[in-house]
Amino acid sequence: MNDPHPLLPTPYRERIDRREAVGRLSAALVAGGAIAAGAIFFHDRSGTESGRIAVPDWRVQETGLPPGVISHGGDPAANVRRAVTALGGMDRFVKRGESVLLKPNAGWDRLPEQAADTNPEVIAELVRLCLAAGARRVIVADISCNDPLRSFERSGIGPAARKAGAEVVTSRRVHLVRAAVGGPVTGLQVMGELLAADRVINVPVVKQHSLSRATLGMKNWFGVLGRGRARLHQSIDHSIAELAATFRPTLTVVDATRILMANGPQGGSLADVKRLDAVAVGIDPVACDAWGAALLGLQPRSLGFIAAAEGRGLGHGDPNLLRDLGTA
Amino acid sequence: MTWTRRLRIFYQAFFLLLFLWLLDRLVHGDLRDLPYSAFHHADPLSMIGVALAAGMIPGALIWGLLLIVLTLLFGRFFCGWICPLGTLQQLTAWLLSPRSRRESLTVNRYRRWYAVKYYLLALLLVLAALGSLQTGLLDPLSLTVRGMAAAVWPVLPGGRPLPGGWLAAGLLLGILLASRWIPRVFCRALCPLGALLGVFARFSLFRIHRSGAACTDCRLCTFACQGADEPFGAHRVGECMVCLNCTTTCEERAIYYGFLPPAGPRPAEPDLSRRKLIGTVLAGLVAGPVIEATGGGRSAARPDLIRPPGALHEPDFLERCVKCSLCGQACPTGFIQPAVAQAGVEGFWTPVVAPRRGWCEYTCVRCGEVCPTGAIARLTPERKIGLDGQPAVSIGTAFVHRGRCLPWAMDTPCIVCEEMCPTDPKAIWLEPITAQRPGGRDIPLQRPHVDPVRCIGCGICENRCPVGAEAAIRITSVGETRDPLNRLLLPVRSNRLQPGDRSAIS
Repeated sequence: MNDPHPLLPTPYRERIDRREAVGRLSAALVAGGAIAAGAIFFHDRSGTESGRIAVPDWRVQETGLPPGVISHGGDPAANVRRAVTALGGMDRFVKRGESVLLKPNAGWDRLPEQAADTNPEVIAELVRLCLAAGARRVIVADISCNDPLRSFERSGIGPAARKAGAEVVTSRRVHLVRAAVGGPVTGLQVMGELLAADRVINVPVVKQHSLSRATLGMKNWFGVLGRGRARLHQSIDHSIAELAATFRPTLTVVDATRILMANGPQGGSLADVKRLDAVAVGIDPVACDAWGAALLGLQPRSLGFIAAAEGRGLGHGDPNLLRDLGTA
Repeated sequence: MTWTRRLRIFYQAFFLLLFLWLLDRLVHGDLRDLPYSAFHHADPLSMIGVALAAGMIPGALIWGLLLIVLTLLFGRFFCGWICPLGTLQQLTAWLLSPRSRRESLTVNRYRRWYAVKYYLLALLLVLAALGSLQTGLLDPLSLTVRGMAAAVWPVLPGGRPLPGGWLAAGLLLGILLASRWIPRVFCRALCPLGALLGVFARFSLFRIHRSGAACTDCRLCTFACQGADEPFGAHRVGECMVCLNCTTTCEERAIYYGFLPPAGPRPAEPDLSRRKLIGTVLAGLVAGPVIEATGGGRSAARPDLIRPPGALHEPDFLERCVKCSLCGQACPTGFIQPAVAQAGVEGFWTPVVAPRRGWCEYTCVRCGEVCPTGAIARLTPERKIGLDGQPAVSIGTAFVHRGRCLPWAMDTPCIVCEEMCPTDPKAIWLEPITAQRPGGRDIPLQRPHVDPVRCIGCGICENRCPVGAEAAIRITSVGETRDPLNRLLLPVRSNRLQPGDRSAIS
């Protein structure tokens, strides 16, 4: 074959040879693959339903258990121990190697005596029980209303939980994610640590509230939500029931060591605090809340959120379903 | 590298890291009682400025005296060995400017305009004597904290943005960048603290001496000279930052740093012209009253000028605040922000509060604890919330805006402001009513009211109000404890914060 003159353009060729075909096809493949990989990598799925993280169901399927048990006595830790034992022990709820998240009410920069936050001894005892049951890690987390550092320190929850061997996650460290939440909660971000946990124990304290009339376990889920949660007050009973339907805890532990009768949910004056020295541990969050409401002198089913939660089949609004172990 | 240089670099690194570490701990809300304002307490520019403005030296600022005494002994060693801004500039100059030896010899010569810092110092001190303390605008410690607050912390993970901080950030970054062309140009030409120390350094007992007999006039001593103080000729001891580089670059060993060396030739003293100095003082005498009268806000209360809890009465406050931003860095919620326009020209970069960014945490007294000059009084939590028998310290009063409030204007339930109100009993109370919606449906509502006696203006109601953009409950300065005239109600009891109020310290 005659080589063309070097200054003339290369003439079109009739056929492509195999080597060139393979080379050009693989180059196209690599370019296409790179584009596809980049597109998939950068694709923001948070706007789509599948991009939101599903909220797991943390309940343990157990039959023959009472909805909850109540223990009275001067030592909050002993109350927790007794009640958990009466429910069959922590091993029933927390399996070896699982991660557990405790959700106290650590919302306020208040002392334990002011009953605005969950009693630190209750939290510490739960941490110890979970670790004894073989939990891989125990996280104590809340998104406080006041400065998180102060709220965790002054309530005693931070030091007590750390001492008992838990990790403390405050809103300074928390990782907020988009979760599959609906109804009035749509669009709010949720604490990612919660969704990553294998088991969740909700540990509220009993307090008066001027809109929902009581702050108990189901309302305690406000504390796992990010910015914008204040909006939920516009339809508070409906919102609390929605939260209770979304977050199904392994256990609810209602701290009634001290309860706040007025000026809730943060109180301040010791005159508003009533010392009851009781703790309820239960698997029915609605019954546990009903018990707490009764402690505040309220008719449980007269509370909109208890009625709404019961109406949605989330539990029973009857405090008498809880078994009272009496005083130790 | 000789041991003197190693030692100096060690000290510079130590003090820079200490400064940054303290600031980092402060910003991250470390609950320990660390000496967060130690550097600022030893700042003689603040000490003299506050003394001129307020007629007194508050508490720990007396440590500034120590630095003056040490400067009388050793010269401007603070600039060369301690000052974090000096070290940062030296670092950036080293990183950014690959200079030839010849360029280094030129760039480290003295220039006449390096005297600007002395005129600036004179101007700032005249203004201070007239009651307007502006030293903090250029004080290297204030400038560095403010610049870090605006340019460094916000861009680190978890940092809080500082709206309006671009100027503070630009000033710090600009100074660092400028050292690429002229090393330590801020120290040499602008720093009022350096100028003040330079005045005292002229008397220093330890200083650089050059033995004329051994010197070959090679001028290598200027090679790495930080202060541009020209040790080869008539040494300008007021410019010398005691970096001791000249003693190590001198190949003839003709230069040493020692005690009471024999007097060398008198330098053409910092080229200060008497006429210019008098002109500067006169300019300050004119500018001070004009700024006070037209650009300030000291006599009349301004609705958007809300100061942190414990801040003194506005004139007393402006006589003490050195604009160091430590209070804002200490604030755990981001409530305290540097003023841009709220406090007038005089109050530029002084702390004001921003309720949509944060709130005053009920028992928190950190801003007063770190304030180096007592512009914000040191309160105990008991004094602040009124457990000591006096009324609580108030920073203002909240007002419900009924046209925006959900229960008031839109017949929609909401009690968030009441729920958040930290006082006991709550300063926000709810009036139960039954509203009728179109269509005849009755809905029970609770409408918030503010009790102006109990309200302390902490702003958590405004911060958490679910009504977006402008909140439906907003605080203004009326009712602030610090101003006896800016009151809403007839006084029941005296609750005045006195300058230097330390009676509350338990």
